[in-house]
Amino acid sequence: MNRERVVADVSGLPTVVFGPRNLGWWGTTGFAVIEGFSLALCAVTYVYLRKNYIVWPPEGTKLPSLLLPTINMGIMLASLPLALWTKKRAERLELGPVRIGLILSSLVTVVTFGLRIAEFTALNTQWNSNAYSSIIWTILGFHGTLMLIDLYDTIGLTLITFLRMESKWFPEAADNANYWLFTVLVWVPMYLLVYFGPRWL
Amino acid sequence: MMLLQAPHYAQQSMIDPAGTKAGAINDFWHFLIVTASIVTAIVFITLFIALAKRRRPADPEAPGEQRSLTRWVTGSVAVTLVIIVVFLFMDFRLGRAIATPPQRTPLRVNVIGHQWWWEFQYPDSATPGNWISTANELHIPVGRPVILRMSARDVIHSFWVPNLSGKKDLIPGHDTETWIEADSAGIYRGQCAEFCGLQHAKMALLVIAEPERQFEQWALGARGAALAPADSTAKAGEQVFLTGGCSVCHAIGGTMAGGTVGPNLTHFGSRLTIAAASLPNTKGNLGGWIVDPQRIKPGSFMPPNALEPDQLEALLAYLEGLK
Amino acid sequence: MTTATARVETIAQPELDVELDAVWRSRPGFIGWLMSTDHKSIGKRYVATAFIFFCLAGLEAATMRAQLSRPENGLLGPDTYNQVFTMHGTTMMFLFAVPVMIGIGLYLVPLMIGARNVAFPRANAMGYWVYLIGGLLIYSGFFVNSGPDAGWFAYVPLAGPQFSPGKRVDIWAQMITFTEIAALVASVVQITTIFKLRAPGMSLNRVPILVWTTLVVQFMIMFAMPSVATASLFLAMDRLISTHFFNPAEGGDALLWQHRFWFFGHPEVYIMFLPGPGIISSLLPAFTRRPVFGYPALVLAVIATGFIAFGLWVHHMFATPLPQLGQSFFTAASALVAIPNGIQIFCWIATIWSGRPIFRTPLLFTIGSIIIFVIGGMTGVMIASVPFDSQVHDTYFIVAHFHYVILGGVVFPLFAGFYYWWPKVTGRLLSEAAGKWNFWLMFIGVNATFFPMHQLGMEGMPRRVYTYLAGTGWGDLNLVASIGALVIFSSVVVFLGNVIWSLRHGQIAGANPWNADSLEWATSSPPPSYNFRDTPVVGGRAPVWESGGELPVMTGLARDRQQVLLTTVLDAEPDSRHDHPGHTIWPFILAVTIGIFFIVLIFTPWGMPIGTVLGFIAYARYVWPKKRHDPSIIELPRSVPPAEVPR
Repeated sequence: MNRERVVADVSGLPTVVFGPRNLGWWGTTGFAVIEGFSLALCAVTYVYLRKNYIVWPPEGTKLPSLLLPTINMGIMLASLPLALWTKKRAERLELGPVRIGLILSSLVTVVTFGLRIAEFTALNTQWNSNAYSSIIWTILGFHGTLMLIDLYDTIGLTLITFLRMESKWFPEAADNANYWLFTVLVWVPMYLLVYFGPRWL
Repeated sequence: MMLLQAPHYAQQSMIDPAGTKAGAINDFWHFLIVTASIVTAIVFITLFIALAKRRRPADPEAPGEQRSLTRWVTGSVAVTLVIIVVFLFMDFRLGRAIATPPQRTPLRVNVIGHQWWWEFQYPDSATPGNWISTANELHIPVGRPVILRMSARDVIHSFWVPNLSGKKDLIPGHDTETWIEADSAGIYRGQCAEFCGLQHAKMALLVIAEPERQFEQWALGARGAALAPADSTAKAGEQVFLTGGCSVCHAIGGTMAGGTVGPNLTHFGSRLTIAAASLPNTKGNLGGWIVDPQRIKPGSFMPPNALEPDQLEALLAYLEGLK
Repeated sequence: MTTATARVETIAQPELDVELDAVWRSRPGFIGWLMSTDHKSIGKRYVATAFIFFCLAGLEAATMRAQLSRPENGLLGPDTYNQVFTMHGTTMMFLFAVPVMIGIGLYLVPLMIGARNVAFPRANAMGYWVYLIGGLLIYSGFFVNSGPDAGWFAYVPLAGPQFSPGKRVDIWAQMITFTEIAALVASVVQITTIFKLRAPGMSLNRVPILVWTTLVVQFMIMFAMPSVATASLFLAMDRLISTHFFNPAEGGDALLWQHRFWFFGHPEVYIMFLPGPGIISSLLPAFTRRPVFGYPALVLAVIATGFIAFGLWVHHMFATPLPQLGQSFFTAASALVAIPNGIQIFCWIATIWSGRPIFRTPLLFTIGSIIIFVIGGMTGVMIASVPFDSQVHDTYFIVAHFHYVILGGVVFPLFAGFYYWWPKVTGRLLSEAAGKWNFWLMFIGVNATFFPMHQLGMEGMPRRVYTYLAGTGWGDLNLVASIGALVIFSSVVVFLGNVIWSLRHGQIAGANPWNADSLEWATSSPPPSYNFRDTPVVGGRAPVWESGGELPVMTGLARDRQQVLLTTVLDAEPDSRHDHPGHTIWPFILAVTIGIFFIVLIFTPWGMPIGTVLGFIAYARYVWPKKRHDPSIIELPRSVPPAEVPR
């Protein structure tokens, strides 16, 4: 078919758009759905394994400590306004504030990721002790992996805003904030499951 | 002797039922195959007419044409739905009917799956500790339900005797239960139905259904200790069994042999088959099995036994004498 | 968007074609081949690779049929047989059926929706390489006698550390991980592509049905694959670092694996199968000379199947201990899935009934598909019954059932699709005469192989047995099945011959050899690297038939870089422009580092740190932007430019 009839011209359409109008948002959301669902399946596994035991945690296993994990949860929740602020600044294409937001976000993520590694000791059990220990180590590790990926992305994006900035990176900064929102919010039920599950279930 | 006539018990089939459950399922199958054949035939004939017919609408998208097609498709879907509902109704009724055994005093048997053989225990509350423990051949009375309590020692197996009943899995960590009942006396073959490793293919069993009296007789004998060796050859065979490796894995009631890794051999001589219903229990087959089990069931946990000819001869005489 | 007055240009614009091709074409040479992010290259690679795996799995099947052709055959021992049947199932499911449909989708979807490429071309390329690494890994294991031998379903405890020592199952579990990554990446790519890159005017109710099925399948992948991915992670950890997920002695559970595996495994059946009906619905118009009947019903049927597919998994576990009520639910769901499938078949028959059938090879395979699939569907309803299934579960009856379903629902439509789109991909038609031989041999061979298996199952033959005793009476029917397998084999040979012949001697196809209706036929065969010179505009479900030889288009995308047009999700109104990064080597390298991560992990936990570091390095290069030459792009707006305010 060689004959074409031109009905419109799209050269005036924008190239920098945010939210679901932007492709990157779909990628971030897609992977958040996959990762969130995987974590949900880990939670289901936790409950499934629970019914194999009469006492929970299994006899001879100490309860997990609460102090360190709760501090970390608190820091994560406290960082949400920062992420929302960064996102808003990105949507207004304000480079300076976005740089500051990204630097602060990187620092927060470094701290929470460091605390996450320390959190393994708060579980008070080894992954190879029993099925209970295996699943809580896995949940912690899986979510830790998400944090590590977010940390890497945030630092990378911070560098890009200084070294290779173009306006198309503003939507990326907004999506990066979205991903941190997901990472923190998905941890709330997991935190309750891992640390209060043994006390309440 | 009906029991010695091979190989009629080498066959197993769900469409030749000899038990309450298999019979009910087979009746349901007749309904399924007739319905499915009619539906399939109608679909195929319609398809062929659609392909071959001469008259074609000038405009397939004309509203009248579309309306009549919509009517036909909607009607077909509605008919399908009705068939499915009838199917579900019949299925649920059948499921309830065969879920629990009839209200008669059942026989209880423990089934334990091993790689790659079946252990059957007949618990006896009257004389605890004097349970029958046998392997690969399940004796049951005709016309009486048998509740099978099943567990697995190693991996998942599945108990299946198609002429009598559908299958049920044996799962490590989950005890399961099913029941069977034979309508008529006979020998029914079954086979492990869940892939369980190297010798999954040769993990078979026989269900020997006998009239109540014969069954009681068998049980009486099976409960007793092993027969003492009848002659000096068999006596020598017993020594081979006890001093060679055999007793590490196998038990024989009334002797020092108490191994539980392999089948209990207390009444081995009365069994019809060896190697989990893989071979008829003949002297020749047994000799071949003892000397080189890996040739018959590669991967089996029974090791080869390099016995002198006279030792083997004595061992065979002893084992075949354990009626 | 900018409104422009309609003007008519009848154009040959060679300079524009050259300009676009310079931007979009893959670089020459082997490195250029590794770098390509063109969806057509990736799609073709997926299909070709999957087809090689199809042939390997077919050879494995032939070996099994040879072994089973007579009782107590000594051709294969149990160890080899178990590896071969595990490889056959694993290959067909993970390395053929799903990837081949992913590949077809990746090739066709952008063309069918009038896009220049898929949404995330780099991730897309990476997905292919990860899939390839997974396939190479498991076949390397197989060729050094370390093929998996615990079945494609790898039930624990048989697949656990105690009963499957050695590396065989580890290799299997990591192969699963690789194919999961590939499928998940493809799902994000395709969902975004279908939602955001459709041609202006292609609202969701005008999307070709193959695109709809692709969309539904990608959503299913998104929710099914995490189940097996985490389950195989648990299995790998049980085996490698002594966790206890499946160890009953320490509170683990063997049934946990089965639930997790089948929560993936049953949707997986529909993930493989749904594109097949999509292919049929998409090619029927060309061979009946009318639009497919019942478009809304077909789309709803596909969506309904996608949902119901997640409520069926327990029917693979009817022999395990389950509460009666649960069984009834899964029985009802399993039987009711017949309704949406019935709707599709009735709509196709109605299409043929009111159309004018043209008996070319794609239509023959379509008819064969319907016949075979209907038979498989009948037995499918039967085995929804718990009592009936308790007899035929894990027997050759089931083998017969699902081969009818998969051959009818996947393989026959696939061959119909091959014959249909081959001229689009290569520019040459396949031979019709060979096509007819191909069809009849396959149709006869499939029925000869699999029909007798129904009877074998009823006569008590279990699956996954390496041999059977002569006294069972199964010998004759097994021999028939084995001869049937030879016929299927010869049919595939005819097909391969046809393909090779066509590449050099096939009739030149032209843009639209079948006079078909959808957008991929509006561009040349094979399509140019940029797919369409200008963005096509769609006004209905059959854009080519409706355009009357003069395609409405929109102009104005950049010519100096890979730019695509984004449209709104529901109505596909032009919304924004997006720049693609172009061809790059880093997706390939990133895939290699992922390969290192998981393969080294089989042997030592060091795989994790090593793989992570290498992966992060590769990923940095993957995303790190190139320096731009155009200063206007680097320059940053200090305040919000009015045109770019998010609405």
